[in-house]
Amino acid sequence: MTVNPARVPVHPAPRPEIVSATGLMYRYPGGGQAAVADISLSIPEGEVFGLLGPNGAGKTTTIAMLSNLLRPARGSLRVCGVDLLREPHKVRGQIGLVPQEVALYPVLSARENLRYFGRLFGMGGRDLNQRVEECLELVGLRDQGDRRIETCSGGMKRRANLAAGIVHRPRLLFLDEPTVGIDPQSRNTILENLSRLRAQGMTLIYTTHYMEEAQQLCSRLAIIDGGRVLAEGRPEELIAAGDDCRNLEDLFLQLTGRQLRD
Amino acid sequence: MKQFWATFCKDLLVLSRDRAGLLVLFFMPAVLVLVVSLVQNNILETTGASGLRVLFVDHDGGPLAAKVRERLGAVEALKLVETVDSRPLSEGTARRLVAEGDYQFGIVIPAGASQIFREQAREQVRDAFRKKRQGVSPVATKAMPQVMVFFDPTVQGIFRTAVTSSLNQVLLGIETEEKGQELSRALNTALAARSGGFLMGGTILGEQDLHRLLIEESLLAVREQPASARPDRPLPNAVQQNVPAWALFGMFFIVVPLSGALLRERQEGTLLRLRTLPVSYGIILLGKIAAFALVCLVQFSLMLAVGRYLLPLLGTPVLDLHGRLPAAFLLALCAALAATGFGLLVGTAARSFEQASMFGAVSVVVAAALGGVMVPVYMMPRAIQTISAFSPLSWGLDGFLEIFVRGEGLSAVLDNALSLLAFFAATLCIAWWLFHRQRRTGG
Repeated sequence: MTVNPARVPVHPAPRPEIVSATGLMYRYPGGGQAAVADISLSIPEGEVFGLLGPNGAGKTTTIAMLSNLLRPARGSLRVCGVDLLREPHKVRGQIGLVPQEVALYPVLSARENLRYFGRLFGMGGRDLNQRVEECLELVGLRDQGDRRIETCSGGMKRRANLAAGIVHRPRLLFLDEPTVGIDPQSRNTILENLSRLRAQGMTLIYTTHYMEEAQQLCSRLAIIDGGRVLAEGRPEELIAAGDDCRNLEDLFLQLTGRQLRD
Repeated sequence: MKQFWATFCKDLLVLSRDRAGLLVLFFMPAVLVLVVSLVQNNILETTGASGLRVLFVDHDGGPLAAKVRERLGAVEALKLVETVDSRPLSEGTARRLVAEGDYQFGIVIPAGASQIFREQAREQVRDAFRKKRQGVSPVATKAMPQVMVFFDPTVQGIFRTAVTSSLNQVLLGIETEEKGQELSRALNTALAARSGGFLMGGTILGEQDLHRLLIEESLLAVREQPASARPDRPLPNAVQQNVPAWALFGMFFIVVPLSGALLRERQEGTLLRLRTLPVSYGIILLGKIAAFALVCLVQFSLMLAVGRYLLPLLGTPVLDLHGRLPAAFLLALCAALAATGFGLLVGTAARSFEQASMFGAVSVVVAAALGGVMVPVYMMPRAIQTISAFSPLSWGLDGFLEIFVRGEGLSAVLDNALSLLAFFAATLCIAWWLFHRQRRTGG
């Protein structure tokens, strides 16, 4: 069963769009099928936007295109009001990325990692030190900030990974499965932090496999599969539009099927 | 600039916390320089000063063996051993000891050699004075027993040549002297006969005169000295040749930690983060190159310090640095850049840490072997010498030998420095192209 997009109520975005993507397509060299076939997204500033989909649906490729890591083969893309394909350098300082991997130097401490990435954003001096402490405070690592990443627990690493993505105060933060493989306490801390960032006006674009988490956190979300958007809207509206769906997971399985994905 | 220094400091900090990496970068090359210089210093002493131990078995007991003993004993490179465990050597024992590797050489003077040698020398001289052989001594018709040399099969050719050359030289001298003496006697006899006894038993050329003429008053002599007689040139020795050579080899091992660092950045996702930043990846790479090149220079300084201060404590000559440091460090900087460029290329092209570390290390060893670090290029087969000309370690080594052994300055190594810089530029361009290709394909 599929949800007819026409049944999903469309709310006009009250705020300016921070991401406007139309007809994005990307095929990896040597890959037969396009990883992203046709994705169009419109995300207003200040939202927490979830990208949900099974393995291989195209979530990470979409994030990679939106964050200027991959150049789409087709389509148009405006991020933070700038044509990303023409002027990527104007966007880079305004976006942050929290990749799926813990993208930090393991032999450096969380504090040293944050300082390094802050300097690469052109920060320095007291402003950088203050911001590093704020970020460590936000993710609950201020007291443990001098521990080398390699000696930290999985949860601490994920929180430090988040802190490194926001050290330069980005307008738009991409998070690729930021809570995968950690205990409920760390996950809860990260979700609280994300809510706080949203409250500060940061826009979050977020991929996850945890439906409950997405339902709790996201103001809007898109369910994608096969490189296409299957449904897009507010979580409660999408659930209501589904056939006999009690929650987001039911809807997700209705849309993407129950067969295993490799 | 802030981003350049940030990366420079970060990479130095990361390197300083990698103990295994530091061991590879500093301790291993220092040990290499130390061991190779000591070993080669000893080899030079062995071939030049202190002496190879040679077993000497005398079955003859006559003047020939005595002369061989006396003259071989006077060769500094050889030390004759005639008794083992206070017992005289037999040929069988000598052969066994050499075969087992306890000694490297054995020389046997066969029984009766003196008598047959003297008879045959006399006969050859007499032959020269008459048309056909008459009344030849039965001993003189015997085949001359040969002086035998046997050696441990593990002994390298250069040492075999040294021992057999020394022995040949000694035997030739003895033979010349013996034939000269016979010639003198024959001449005296012949002249006395032709003068009808006018000489009254006197001699034209006495044996003592002949010995003085043939042996003591040698006209042609060999004296070893450096090609350049300038007093400011360093003395060629194992330290002067080996320290810069192995320091260069150690510097190129920066390829392993540098390619590993690049791969870790790729595998751990930090490269992904770096690529989203508002800073060109070129600036980040420059910071990285500067950090690793600085490490190479520190490594080079450490190797020079080992040659200057540590090796002399172990009995080697002191590394002569007088007036050579500016040129040496400039060439070292070019070599460091060439090594970091190659490290960037390996780190960009490799798909796994194993690939990078194996290929990186093996390629450096191969380039060092081709470049003449282990065996001098002039000793290699012609085809390999041609290939050797393409090894960056060959360019670096040639330059260092110009500075440290020939005592030349910067102008003499400009070609080498430019070749190393060209190699750096080429590897950097290929690495940059590969990086962008991977970026386009999401690799």
